[in-house]
Amino acid sequence: MALAVRPPFRLEPYLEFGKKAIAREATYRFDVFTSIGSFALRIYLLRMVWVALYARNAAPHGLPLHAILTYSAVALLMGLVLDVDQVSSLYTKLHDGSIVSDFMRPISVPLYFFADGTGEVLFHASLIVPSLVLALFIVHIDVPSGGTLAAFALSFVLGYFVGFCINFILNCTAFWTLEIHAVQLIVTWLTDLLGGELVPLVFFPVALQHALFALPFAAMFSTPLLIYVGEIGPDRYASALGIQAIWLVVLALASVVIWRAGSRRIVVQGG
Amino acid sequence: MLAVYGQHWRINVLTALEYRENFLLWAAFAVVYHGSAIATLWVVLHTFPSMNGWDFRDMAFLYGLWMTAHALHDTLFFGVGNVPEYVRDGEFDRLLIRPLDTLFAVIVIPGQIFPDELILALVYLGITTWYAGVRVDAAFVFCVPFVILGGTLIELAINVIVATIAFWFVRVDALRWIVLQLEQEFTRYPIGIYTRGVRLFLTFVFPFAFMNYFPATYFLHKPESALGLPPAVGLLSPVIGLTFLGVAYAFWRFGLDRYKGVGH
Repeated sequence: MALAVRPPFRLEPYLEFGKKAIAREATYRFDVFTSIGSFALRIYLLRMVWVALYARNAAPHGLPLHAILTYSAVALLMGLVLDVDQVSSLYTKLHDGSIVSDFMRPISVPLYFFADGTGEVLFHASLIVPSLVLALFIVHIDVPSGGTLAAFALSFVLGYFVGFCINFILNCTAFWTLEIHAVQLIVTWLTDLLGGELVPLVFFPVALQHALFALPFAAMFSTPLLIYVGEIGPDRYASALGIQAIWLVVLALASVVIWRAGSRRIVVQGG
Repeated sequence: MLAVYGQHWRINVLTALEYRENFLLWAAFAVVYHGSAIATLWVVLHTFPSMNGWDFRDMAFLYGLWMTAHALHDTLFFGVGNVPEYVRDGEFDRLLIRPLDTLFAVIVIPGQIFPDELILALVYLGITTWYAGVRVDAAFVFCVPFVILGGTLIELAINVIVATIAFWFVRVDALRWIVLQLEQEFTRYPIGIYTRGVRLFLTFVFPFAFMNYFPATYFLHKPESALGLPPAVGLLSPVIGLTFLGVAYAFWRFGLDRYKGVGH
């Protein structure tokens, strides 16, 4: 395969892969209803929980009730995109062996998965609109200034790519283990907790916070969210975004290394 | 029937031993799954010491009751959740011609089940019972197994109902997911924090509050009980569980009589 003459790079096939992925995702209507229904349920639950907690206790510094409700709502909306495993088809293809035919095509296989995953995520991103409308019936969401929103958007994009690399690496482990579900669920649950999706990291004991802010999980959820609610102010944007960028570079390099090693030793079970 | 059930467990354990790494990973997941739920409670109550008069010790015990009932359900009745899948791929038709009761036939399909989560739950419940300062006397030791069993039956009843709905609608993933979420996330907090509608729903429609909230209120001697019911209703869990399962089973039989299959 390595001997084959590489055709010049063209973007069109990857755009097509992306479109195909969107169409595929749109066929599972039930999953769409599940996502939105479960989103509404969770936001309703979180509102009741935070209201009950703030009613009986002193509000922590910097995060009054309206800010924490905004935080939770935005975290759940981000989850619609960030909780999607956009590389799961890699696992499926490694598991049933169909990855072999992808290697024979005149395309870059990792880019194919990237295009496919991006399409899948774009579809899920479109669910943000109905979910947001629904959320506004349940809670009030603060809208920060334009500058803050811009920083949030940039941070969110960085967080998204960090998440992509983590998913890519996890799915790549199937090159060796063929079975990844348990590991994947473990990582998902750890991300929920340590990334600040459920509870802001600033509520953790101070000693733990420093460690947590340095982990890639925080780069996915916590950093964009704390920028959104103003807990990370403009003076700290550079360092916060910088840590995200460092994680992105590290994980992207790790992805490349693991992919190279993995694709050299494909094992296909049976026929 | 007992012999069949014994075989079911023999195969389960042998399967778990055969796929040892996978089994260990799933056991690790059980630890992370419950660990992260408990850690979330701890972090929240570290910042906010009281939730409607419940502190972390109380909430840890509340979670322990639910976790044990849930783990017992997953260990004994895991197969019921697979019914929609069986209906979809036609496997269910094969179960219909088994000589024993169809629901029993579903329950004894072997999987990779091992009581790891249950062991974890029992250890955790023991620790939190001590940690929450629950008075352990003869009455407590006598009542707790019944309360756990009641919770298990409540969860089983819900799953039987969802499985029955699959006879008509085949794909019930959405419904199943939402019910699961209602159970797992709404039972984590004392139901006093919810609006009256939600409290009524969790008490009388899907009585998840009897899995842990009402029994915990009783064991922890909490003055308030949501909906103004006396705390002793917490001991009614097994009765509620049996009644609810009876209703669910009647619905299952009703559905079974009308089951047409998806046409394979």
